[in-house]
Amino acid sequence: MSYKITEENNISIVHLDGEIDMDVTEKAKEVIMPLIEAKKEVHLNLKDVQYMDSSGISVLIESHQKATELGTKVVLKDISKSVLKVIMMAKLEQILNLG
Amino acid sequence: MNSSVENNISEKKDFVVSSSSLKDVRSFSREVFSKVNLNQDLKDELVLAIAEAAQNIVKHAYQNQETDDKMEIKISLDNGELEIGFFDKGRPVDNSNVRHRKIDDVKPGGLGTFFIKQIMDAVVFKEGEKPWINHLILTKKINY
Repeated sequence: MSYKITEENNISIVHLDGEIDMDVTEKAKEVIMPLIEAKKEVHLNLKDVQYMDSSGISVLIESHQKATELGTKVVLKDISKSVLKVIMMAKLEQILNLG
Repeated sequence: MNSSVENNISEKKDFVVSSSSLKDVRSFSREVFSKVNLNQDLKDELVLAIAEAAQNIVKHAYQNQETDDKMEIKISLDNGELEIGFFDKGRPVDNSNVRHRKIDDVKPGGLGTFFIKQIMDAVVFKEGEKPWINHLILTKKINY
C-alpha cells in the first residue's frame, strides 16, 4: 500500500493505492488517525485500492467512529468497484459516509 | 471451450504463518482460479474468503505470534464441488468459539468469518491429521 496526502479547503485528502490487508492496517491507521485527531475532515480516495479485506474495513469503521467522536467526519471518495463490493457485503453502505 | 481452462483442479501450497504471507496466499488463489471457468466476481469473492481464513489462522490459531510454522492451503474443484482446505499447527480451534459478529453491531473485528460464511456454502472445522492440529474445510457448489 502506498499513499499521498493533499490538502484542499481545510480538508485532508488521503489517496490510498494498492491492496489493504492485515499486513498494512497499522500503516494505514498511522496515516489516517493523526489527521482525524487534529479534527480535520478527512476524505479517503479509494480509486486505486484494488483489494480490501476485513482488516481494511475495520480501519474504515475505526476512522469513522473516531471522527464522529471528535465532531468531524471521514468521507470515502471514488470507491473502487472491488472495495464497494466488500463495503456492501459488510452492510456498511448506510453507516460509512460514501461521497 | 478454451483448452487452457479446466473444470477440475487440485493444487496446494505452503505459506509461513504471517500477515506478510497474505499477499502470497491471494496470488496463489488467483493463479489457481485463473485456470478454471468461473466468473470474475466469484473468483474475487473466493480469493477474499481464502485470505480471510488464512488471516484467521495468523490472528487466532497463532495469536499474531511470530513463527516459522507453515500453513497449507489446498484448493480442489471436482465436478462443480469446490473444496478449500486449510491446515495449521497452531492452537487448537474450539469450534464453539468461532462466531462472526452480529452484522448490525458496527465495530471493527469479527467481519472475516462473516465474509467467509457469506461467500461459502459450508465451513467445517476438523481436528487435523498429524502433523496438523487444525483442518478447516470451506466448500461451495459451483454452478457453471
